[in-house]
Amino acid sequence: MIGPRDPDRDIDDLLEDGGGEIGDLYRRLPRYEPPRRLDRAILGEAARAVHSGKPPRRQRWIVGVGSAAGLVLAAGIAWRIGNDAMHSPPVAPTESAPVMAPRVVPVEPITESARTRRDEPAPASSPMDSAAPAAPPPPTAVTGAVSKRAANEVDKARKSVELKAAPKPAPAQEPPPPLPEPQATRQAEAPAAFSSDAKEEQAKDKAASAERETGAAADGLFRHRAQQPAAGGALPQSTPSSSVELRRDMQLAPEEWLAHIHQLMRQGRRQQAAESLRLFMRAHPDWEISDDLRELQR
Amino acid sequence: MLAYVGGDLLAFEMLYRHHRRTLYRFLMQTLRHRADTDELFQDTWSRLIAARERYRPEAKFTTWLLQIAHNLIVDRFRRQRPQASEEETEAVFRKLDAPESDEPERALTEFEQRRRLQLALEDLPEEQRVAFLLRVESGLGLDEIATITGAGRETVKSRLRYALARIRARFAT
Repeated sequence: MIGPRDPDRDIDDLLEDGGGEIGDLYRRLPRYEPPRRLDRAILGEAARAVHSGKPPRRQRWIVGVGSAAGLVLAAGIAWRIGNDAMHSPPVAPTESAPVMAPRVVPVEPITESARTRRDEPAPASSPMDSAAPAAPPPPTAVTGAVSKRAANEVDKARKSVELKAAPKPAPAQEPPPPLPEPQATRQAEAPAAFSSDAKEEQAKDKAASAERETGAAADGLFRHRAQQPAAGGALPQSTPSSSVELRRDMQLAPEEWLAHIHQLMRQGRRQQAAESLRLFMRAHPDWEISDDLRELQR
Repeated sequence: MLAYVGGDLLAFEMLYRHHRRTLYRFLMQTLRHRADTDELFQDTWSRLIAARERYRPEAKFTTWLLQIAHNLIVDRFRRQRPQASEEETEAVFRKLDAPESDEPERALTEFEQRRRLQLALEDLPEEQRVAFLLRVESGLGLDEIATITGAGRETVKSRLRYALARIRARFAT
């Protein structure tokens, strides 16, 4: 029977394992149970908390430290690369331009001067000769697998090539010749010119005899015809080929032609002068020539 | 609990099944209102889930769970009703101190005893009721109750003593 008792005895009974008399009575009270809906709600909330993707604090700490370490590593690599770039000779992309320049083959029509130049002994080396064997690989070919020493050797070789090739681009920048005729046409034209010259000489022989017969009118006509190219005599005389020059001489008046032959002699071009004189004698067999020309004729 | 913190949902379910009745009865006896009990029961578990990363294995899980529930109860009582006054408590003890011969001895049926105990619990001041319930419902000792309630060990013992006196007073009437 629960009733008034000594409080100290009551507390001792309550703190015993069973809770004493009052503890026994309390356990006979209705046993309340949480409703099922609360169970579902709480378990669902726990599941959402786990699957929400929000990592526990320790995992977030690890992620943070990992991210920081990655940043430090990336910064170190970037700093190292920057250091290497500062201490090593720069392999700038601008270097590729001079390296590639010798590869450009200047395409120009072959003129008579070029033909004669080709017959001359070649200078040190042509652009093609210098560029082809020493053409270094493009800078992009030097990958990370190539050692630094190999890269330096490539740089040295590239510089030597540049030194050789440096004077060579100049011919490539020459202005194109004034007569950009195709080579085949000109080569085919040259023998035709000689054959037509022969026919023309024969025709001129006949014309000259007829001229002398017909008088001054015909002579003036011939002169007019012959002076037309003379008016354009500003043709380059620096390196005309013999055939071209001879053709041009035939267009001159006899006095001018002889004067030109004298000029060739003064320039020391006796062979050219002799050929021109021989042609002159064919065109004008009756023309009186001076003694020095007669000497040249021999 | 550590397993659940690591992502093991089954571990939480086992914990919940083991402690759900104890917590619910503690709340029900303390609040004496089913709706409030449901609300605080769910709130207690929600707080525990949210604070799971702060759990340390040095603490007993039951103590931690009931401490969360106790804090919510304290907040609720502070908002809802005033504490029992000192005068009311002293009146109860004056009545208890009366000689046994002066009290009518009645033979009560078991149903009546349970009813009177229920009424006595409802009339207990909050601190005394919480201490009593933590002892008889959860089986905690003085030190654990002191940890949960934030009071000293002797204070807890005094609260238990006052609670027992009030309960006996209910049976004496």
